[in-house]
Amino acid sequence: MLARNKAAGLAQAAGGGGPRLRSPLRRLFVKGTSDGQTESGLKRAHFKEWRLPFWLLAPQLFILLLFFFIPSIRALIQAFQLTDPFGATTQWVGFQNFERLFRSNVYWSSAQVTLIFTIAQNVLTLSLALLLAFASNHILRGRGAYRTVLLLPYAIAPAIAGIMLAFLFNPRVGPVAHMLQGMGLDWDPNRNSWHALALVVMAASWKHICYNYIFLVAALMSVPQSILESAYLDGAGPIQRFLRISLPMIAPTLFFLIVINFVYGLFETFAIVDATTRGGPAGATSILVYKVYQDGFVTLDLGSSAAQSVVLMALALLLTFAQFRFVERRVNYSV
Amino acid sequence: MNERTPVIDALCHMILLVGAALVCLPIYFVFVTGSLSQQEIMRVPMSWLPGSQFFANMQTVLSNANFGRLLLNSFIIATGITVGKLAVSVIAAFAVTYFRFPFRMTAFWLIFMSLMLPIEVRIVPTYESAANVALPLNILGSWLGIKALVDLDWNLVNTYSGLILPLIASATATFLFRQFFLTIPDELCEAARIDGATPWQFFRLILLPLSRSNIVALAIILFLMGWNQYLWPLLLTTEPAMANAVIGLKKLMPQSDSLPTWHLLMNAAFLTMLPPTIVILILQRWFVKGLVDSGK
Amino acid sequence: MRPFYGALAGAGALLLTGISAVQAATEIELWHAMSGALGERVDEVVKKFNDSQKDYVVKSIAKGTYDEVLNGTIAAYRAKRQPEIVQSNERSFLTMVNSGAIVPTNELMAEQGMPLDTSKFIAPVVSYFAINGKLQAMPFNSSTPILFYNRDHFKAAGFDKPAATWQELEPQLDAIKAKGVSKCAMVLPGDYEWSFLENYSAVNDIPYATKRNGMDGLDTSFVFNKGKLVGQVERMKRLVSSGVMQLAGQGIIPIQLFTSGECSTIIASTASHAAVVAAAKFDWSAREIPYEQGVTPKNSVIGGAALWTLKGHTPEKYKAVAAFYDFLAKTDTQVWWHQATGYVPVTTAAYDAAKAQGYYEKNPTREIAVVQLMRGTPSDNSLGFRIGNSNQINVAIMEEVSAAFLGRKPVQQALDDAVSRGNEALRRYEQLNAGKK
Repeated sequence: MLARNKAAGLAQAAGGGGPRLRSPLRRLFVKGTSDGQTESGLKRAHFKEWRLPFWLLAPQLFILLLFFFIPSIRALIQAFQLTDPFGATTQWVGFQNFERLFRSNVYWSSAQVTLIFTIAQNVLTLSLALLLAFASNHILRGRGAYRTVLLLPYAIAPAIAGIMLAFLFNPRVGPVAHMLQGMGLDWDPNRNSWHALALVVMAASWKHICYNYIFLVAALMSVPQSILESAYLDGAGPIQRFLRISLPMIAPTLFFLIVINFVYGLFETFAIVDATTRGGPAGATSILVYKVYQDGFVTLDLGSSAAQSVVLMALALLLTFAQFRFVERRVNYSV
Repeated sequence: MNERTPVIDALCHMILLVGAALVCLPIYFVFVTGSLSQQEIMRVPMSWLPGSQFFANMQTVLSNANFGRLLLNSFIIATGITVGKLAVSVIAAFAVTYFRFPFRMTAFWLIFMSLMLPIEVRIVPTYESAANVALPLNILGSWLGIKALVDLDWNLVNTYSGLILPLIASATATFLFRQFFLTIPDELCEAARIDGATPWQFFRLILLPLSRSNIVALAIILFLMGWNQYLWPLLLTTEPAMANAVIGLKKLMPQSDSLPTWHLLMNAAFLTMLPPTIVILILQRWFVKGLVDSGK
Repeated sequence: MRPFYGALAGAGALLLTGISAVQAATEIELWHAMSGALGERVDEVVKKFNDSQKDYVVKSIAKGTYDEVLNGTIAAYRAKRQPEIVQSNERSFLTMVNSGAIVPTNELMAEQGMPLDTSKFIAPVVSYFAINGKLQAMPFNSSTPILFYNRDHFKAAGFDKPAATWQELEPQLDAIKAKGVSKCAMVLPGDYEWSFLENYSAVNDIPYATKRNGMDGLDTSFVFNKGKLVGQVERMKRLVSSGVMQLAGQGIIPIQLFTSGECSTIIASTASHAAVVAAAKFDWSAREIPYEQGVTPKNSVIGGAALWTLKGHTPEKYKAVAAFYDFLAKTDTQVWWHQATGYVPVTTAAYDAAKAQGYYEKNPTREIAVVQLMRGTPSDNSLGFRIGNSNQINVAIMEEVSAAFLGRKPVQQALDDAVSRGNEALRRYEQLNAGKK
């Protein structure tokens, strides 16, 4: 029971200031851990009234109606249409856009790339953030200074971050690329799809490590000192203590970050992809969300783009429930 | 615990130093490139050391690209989004967690759904809505055959409200507040009710002060998000004086046919990065505290 | 939230731009996609027009890349807030013509009593932007690819200059690399579909798509997966795999690798002159793009963009638009634009005027593009391209061809896939626009 409360608390630490906008998965996850109420998401001690909450909700619902629901429905309707970008001609085509999508090899290979990309990005981001969090948890001096520096990528627009990294890793002019080539690696993301994928993964992680790091630092700080001390008295070294005690205790935060990283990789990386590789070479880094953007905004294939966003939304929902049902419970038990 | 672990200590510092270096390297290169001259940037490979043109480039950027004005716009937009979204969200979260009323779950799910579709995917229809906020009334009018409604026109193009409002239309902050409210002990509300406090008094005197560090952490996040907006302001502004700094940046992006002016682009990128970086530097303590506190 | 805030901000914006001073002038907007130095040239030509008369004021507004301008225009048109004039690239021709959103330039000018005589324009420009001899858009920044080369590198490798045909040029490029003169004998441009495939088929007089590359109807199909074009892509692949031809990639632009002296040649738009003149610190020159041995080369095709007039404005505004186009077509304007930007003059009169000034004696490479565009009589294969869903198809072709470069599929297979993806998009366009041009 104590462990469960702890888990809720930590997950809360995660939820308390999360900047990942539009991340449905995490909301559900967090909700799952903290809802002990009869009616979901309602405080046991609550007010019974309808006039005040109506006025409290009105501004948000009004803005959502105008700038979210009406435009979204109009966008989703396009998934069933063949339409001229200017709106001159529109034909209802039923599921033709979806059929075209599922018949297309390009789409399936994009799905495959997305899978590799999100997993690689997740592993890299989380392991580096964990390493950094362990290190800054261990040392006593200079903690604040390191933390400040490590937070910086958060302040930088994804487009700018992408341009910087594309430049640094450019096989012709980039200083980092020259270093890699000097080390005997024939680095060329223009001609090697694995290199291109690695570049996109690095760029996406570079921007996102700080986010993971902050949550891990916060979680590590709330591991009870008394447990760590008794382990120390039992003769466990810092690394052992970290692996045997801290890590299992922050499992909910780890799990939460895994979900967040998936959401980030799936939905929020198109600016980075656009700036570093433009989905190339030969579609090697064209992840699903980049294709939605490219087909909708660059090539004006509005029907296909809308159909793709329907698929992506369904995927998000599916992922949400799968995570919530299977993985999350197990993590809580294991604590 | 008085543990001595010199090897691991050294290792940890090394890990952190390498991490810090990796973070700083790209930023350092923005600075270096922003300080080179047109001839210097055309050389391959480019220099590792800063040149002497930083302030000259900055002057060009500020005067030619009207960057001062653009930075001011970025500030107004980011602040507007931050304040607007916080205000709207905190009261909505209060409503869904502390009140039992008909259609509570409906309201909750309506808000929840707005997390599902990023603005980039629905950007053209969103533009149509912002270009004429009365659009739903127009449609209604044409169904009912009311001429007055059809002709309504309320334009937000080239206005700060147009740049701000549609970006407020997402429920992230509402959910974060909701999660936080759910961890607040029920006793607080019970005690307040026994003392005869109205819901509004409870909200103002107890809930808001408790949420202070969450609000700060969220404010930083929203400010940064607002500052870094690109696609929406690009579409919505036709008046160059209404654009923001990131748009100004992209205008300096070299294209295939023209002379590459990376030095100006990177200089402007450096200027654009500066305010959010300062925000992080100054408010970093608060930011982390907001996250840690909410766990207690 | 309240309307008066919007009004307030709008009023503020108006004050800031300070247009209130010229009360009587009719103001029109021009949305364009030029950034950097070219963006400044657009502002300049607009200013020249504004200073030349008192009745009209054109406001030039940079709206991002070509894609972003087009999307901005679509959004604005759907919301009835479109500008009067929008710059759109040559690839979007059919999208614009069939949008139902434009006023054909020919009609506009005739109505305003300032008819444009299409015979005064150079042929590839007219054939691209006119339907049955009637201009649909106002030609603005027209370019065509030429071959820039580093003369120092060629001399060091023992050559006078690049050869005219691919058969002779290829060994030269190999030699430059083999002799260690340069690690990169050629850099592949970002728009190679235009310069290496479309222009290649025009110059060598081979069909790219049926129905005269789409000029004769929407039921056109691609045929570039046979004959010489397969050989061209095979050649490109050979050059890329041997490292003779390098890919620039993101983070820099290809022309930068040429001007920095890293790469010895580039086939790039003639508008790259501005960048080359400003940055190349070596002896450089240019010549026509290479063609196949034994072929009498035809004209190349244009790229760049044209100005489109959008529907839904008052007659007053269209008067202003017509006056602006009339100003653009003037010989003086064209000569200035040609020399300031590197784009080609769109009228023969402007070309003759520049020649009479002795401009080409001092700047011989500036003439190459014009001469190449006017070379021979345009054939069915060199009139231009009229392809629907062209943006989609362009992306698909580049994706397939680069898959061949990467060795992911054989060249023939890649081109077959490109053709079938392209044709699918063409059929969809035909389905949607049945009965249109």
